[in-house]
Amino acid sequence: MEFLNTIGGYALGLLGAGLAALLAGIGSAKGTGIAGEAGAGLVSEDPSKFGKAMILQVIPGTQGLYGFVIWFIAFNKLVPGMSVTEGLQILSACLPIALGGLLSGIAQGKVAAASVNILAKKPDDWSKGMILCITVEFYAILALLASFMMLGRITIGA
Amino acid sequence: MAIVKMKRLRLMLVRSQKEELLRELTRLGCVQVSEMEEELQEQESQGLVRRESSELTALKTRHAALERALELLRRYAPEKKPLLSAKPELESRVLLETEGLEDALKLAAALDEREDRIRRITAEESRQRSLIESLTPWTELDLPLETEGTERAAVVLGSLSNRIPLEQVENALETAAEEAELFLVSMDRSQRYVLLLAAREQLTAAQECLRGFGFSAASLSGCTGTARDGIAAAEKSLEELAAEKGTLAGEIAAEAPRREELQLAADRLATRIGMAEAEEKLYGTGSSVVLEGWVPAEKEDELARLLEGFTCAWETEEPAEDEYPQVPVKLKNNKFSNALNMVTNMYSLPAYGTVDPNPIMAPFFILFYGLMMADMGYGLIMIAAALVAMKKIKPRGGTLAFCQLLLYAGVSTFVMGALTGSLFGNAPEVIAGMFGSEWKGLPALFSPVKDSTLVLYGAMALGVIHLNVGMIVSFLEKKRAGNVMDGVFEEGPLWVMLLGGVLLALDLLGVLKAQALHYTGLALLIVGGVMLLYGAGRHAKGFGKVTAWFGDILSYSRIMALMLAGGVVAQVFNTIAAMPSENGVTVFSGIIFLLIFLVGHALNFGLNLLGCFVHDLRLQCLEFFGKFYQDGGKPFRPLEIHSKYAVAKEE
Repeated sequence: MEFLNTIGGYALGLLGAGLAALLAGIGSAKGTGIAGEAGAGLVSEDPSKFGKAMILQVIPGTQGLYGFVIWFIAFNKLVPGMSVTEGLQILSACLPIALGGLLSGIAQGKVAAASVNILAKKPDDWSKGMILCITVEFYAILALLASFMMLGRITIGA
Repeated sequence: MAIVKMKRLRLMLVRSQKEELLRELTRLGCVQVSEMEEELQEQESQGLVRRESSELTALKTRHAALERALELLRRYAPEKKPLLSAKPELESRVLLETEGLEDALKLAAALDEREDRIRRITAEESRQRSLIESLTPWTELDLPLETEGTERAAVVLGSLSNRIPLEQVENALETAAEEAELFLVSMDRSQRYVLLLAAREQLTAAQECLRGFGFSAASLSGCTGTARDGIAAAEKSLEELAAEKGTLAGEIAAEAPRREELQLAADRLATRIGMAEAEEKLYGTGSSVVLEGWVPAEKEDELARLLEGFTCAWETEEPAEDEYPQVPVKLKNNKFSNALNMVTNMYSLPAYGTVDPNPIMAPFFILFYGLMMADMGYGLIMIAAALVAMKKIKPRGGTLAFCQLLLYAGVSTFVMGALTGSLFGNAPEVIAGMFGSEWKGLPALFSPVKDSTLVLYGAMALGVIHLNVGMIVSFLEKKRAGNVMDGVFEEGPLWVMLLGGVLLALDLLGVLKAQALHYTGLALLIVGGVMLLYGAGRHAKGFGKVTAWFGDILSYSRIMALMLAGGVVAQVFNTIAAMPSENGVTVFSGIIFLLIFLVGHALNFGLNLLGCFVHDLRLQCLEFFGKFYQDGGKPFRPLEIHSKYAVAKEE
């Protein structure tokens, strides 16, 4: 505890907020990266499919957005000189979207990349690939909500 | 509002009228020609009855040629058309004619021939370009490239890796072959281009030595004259090729005015292909043909009127129950439930003789969608988009269903947005705040952010209603089929237990404190359990149903989750957009607000539009359909006009 006291609640809170944006951002970056590579391969064969390939690519981009939303809310709650307990509360509340965003972003990226195959081979059914991607999205939404509601409960300086 | 009743059609016709009958049936568009039953195929008369043949393959090849020609026109002379426009309407007679086909095919062949030449020119261009590339290092050399040396001295052109200093190479060469010398011609990032001059008898030794340094002879076979001359010649021929290509492209583009002719021909051929496919399902003798198929019962009169003009014998009969798996399924719905066709088609059509889910599903689908999206602004955008699309494209079939769905979901989204007081999230409040107002925003009946627990319970309660409706449908279906007891022991136990659970909960939660309630509730739970066990014994299935039921109900929490998530993301964008305007609104901060607001809401809107649809779909197709739906119907595909570029006028 003494060790944590030397760090201070403010730093812990910043760490939490930072992790939310950082890890979820990494998840989205990797996810859109994987999907983008697959999409670029398809577009090199058939440039007319660029629009649809791009839609598939941006689907795993939402985790980063959710992470940013939580970063924003957490950041607005931070006050210099807050207690270690409060800092740890913020940190805990940020963890769901940080880890949920990281892992679901990568997983969704893989589904999106596989859906690019549908777009290549059965262009009429590409919307089904989109539906498969959105299934993964739900868990990022749940992580976002968990973080959001936890942050809603925390009152600083009470 | 239901699955259309079908009748099996059997028809025998004189051969001379075959073509005309197929054409007329196509125009009518309500008869599906099906494969003959096996018994008919295996009759003793097999020697007499033969399967009809058609020129299907030839038609398909021609159709592909026309489509290719249209694709060429699209590439070389893009059509200038407004983004949303309706397809032209044509009389169905026009689409069924065959004249002008030859001209269109000739045009397609001419376009294809030009495209072929363009392709050959492109290949030649890249050959010339690579020639220029291989000659470029030698431009400094005034020697004709074909020079091989004199009687005593040999000349070899080649390249060396430039990682090794030239001096080192020269020294090594001197020791290996005294009468040899290297001349540097040019160098680039990775290579030195050199000329090796050596006495004939020492050439092999010199080359051997240089190979150790990565020397490889340049492959310029066939090049005569100096490199500079070669490049000039290649550039000249490139110019000529480009000009020729331009002329050819211009010639293709010049045929753009005949695009409609090609489109009409393509549509006519597509229709002919449909007819030919039907023709291959017919059987015939020397002078007659037999057709078997399906016709909607309500269209039988129309068919009868049409067949009066033909020399034929025909009959229709209702399919027997054991034939149901073969009967094609067509859904007939009113304007409201038609919108859900898209959802049912995406899943799988109901089996013939079961329930059409669209009318039951429609109110729930639209309500759930509105709840998940719940924003007046987004709702208005959806309504506007749907109305504009309907007016401009004049859609039919699947596209029309999509537009209708968008419209109804938009209305529902708007209503739910009004109830939760959200217009682009909390935009009114934030904008008022930017101008220093303390206004607390639009009034709301309930807010997903503040009353999230209430919304969660509400979502699950809706789930209970939804699932029960599905179970009632299932029960009624079983009753109709004469298996009431199946229903009593499959749906019954869950209802008894649900009632027991509610009574018990009323007592336990202290809403209605009464011993009687407590014990009745418990008793009902036990009775339900026993019924369930008995039912499980009857069909050796179903005890997992109770747990599955609770899982299903929990799944409806996604309604609350999506409602909340959309609202939260919208609010955060509003707040971020308003941040530069914290100390009063300036022109600059106003522009920033608009930018972030537009981009943020576009993103959130797009994501939610799709997300809400997918999750609504899941609730319907997995949780709801799981309670009663029997899928596996084969879609009704009548012989009709297949047109891509025009629509047949309805008669």
